[in-house]
Amino acid sequence: MNKYERAAVGAVALMLLAGGAIFFYAPTDYLQGVVQRIFYLHVSSAIAAYGCFAVVLVGGLVYLRKETPEADRVARAGAVVGVVFTTVTLVMGMLWAKPIWNTYWTWDARLTSTLVLWIIYAGYLLVRRMADPGRQAARLAAVVGIFGFIDVPIVHFSVTWWRTQHPGPIVVNDALPPEMLATFLFTLMCTLAFAAVLIGIRYRIETVLDARLHATEPAPIIPTAGEPEAVP
Amino acid sequence: MIYLVIAYAFAIAVLGGFLIWSLRTLRGLERKP
Repeated sequence: MNKYERAAVGAVALMLLAGGAIFFYAPTDYLQGVVQRIFYLHVSSAIAAYGCFAVVLVGGLVYLRKETPEADRVARAGAVVGVVFTTVTLVMGMLWAKPIWNTYWTWDARLTSTLVLWIIYAGYLLVRRMADPGRQAARLAAVVGIFGFIDVPIVHFSVTWWRTQHPGPIVVNDALPPEMLATFLFTLMCTLAFAAVLIGIRYRIETVLDARLHATEPAPIIPTAGEPEAVP
Repeated sequence: MIYLVIAYAFAIAVLGGFLIWSLRTLRGLERKP
């Protein structure tokens, strides 16, 4: 078992503990019933996705400034993990909405801006996959990643900027009972640790793939000493 | 109740599946010469 597999086992153990807190420690909500327990992982996944996209932002900024391949790899790793967490956020939210709102989806500001966030970073991954690997693709992706991050504060503040069907901020407004708050904070910590482990594994994959790519590229023609350089 | 079960089953499938797929990809890449 290598260090990535050991980290994965630790992250899974933390998520199992979070599951235990969600199902056996947190009290059942009086109004919503058991379906309220979706909230803990739904919100934690959303915050983990914000964190992943912040990694893409920082990686993109560093890449545009220094053009280090490490920064580009970090951005690629953050984007794919962020899209996975955004998918979990969207689907869990839809499954919460059905019994509470009697519909899976409504085009309110929070849901729509989150869907746009998913599309932006799915597009980012598509650009990376379709473009030939190299400096140009990395620079283009960095710009997409940086401008795409503009949607993160829009998603976050959408419930206060516009009148939405989605519930407003309850954690910062101190609206949760202590047991629910403790469960949420613990789940958030475990989810962030899980996301960090995933980014670490994806970073390693990108590093190995980059090394393979450079190994298969033809070596640049360097004129040897004494040999005249070609004049254009 | 059914929505709660489906929601967490989906989350486990996506997050767990992505973790396992990533680990298998990494293992495959590091094993190849």
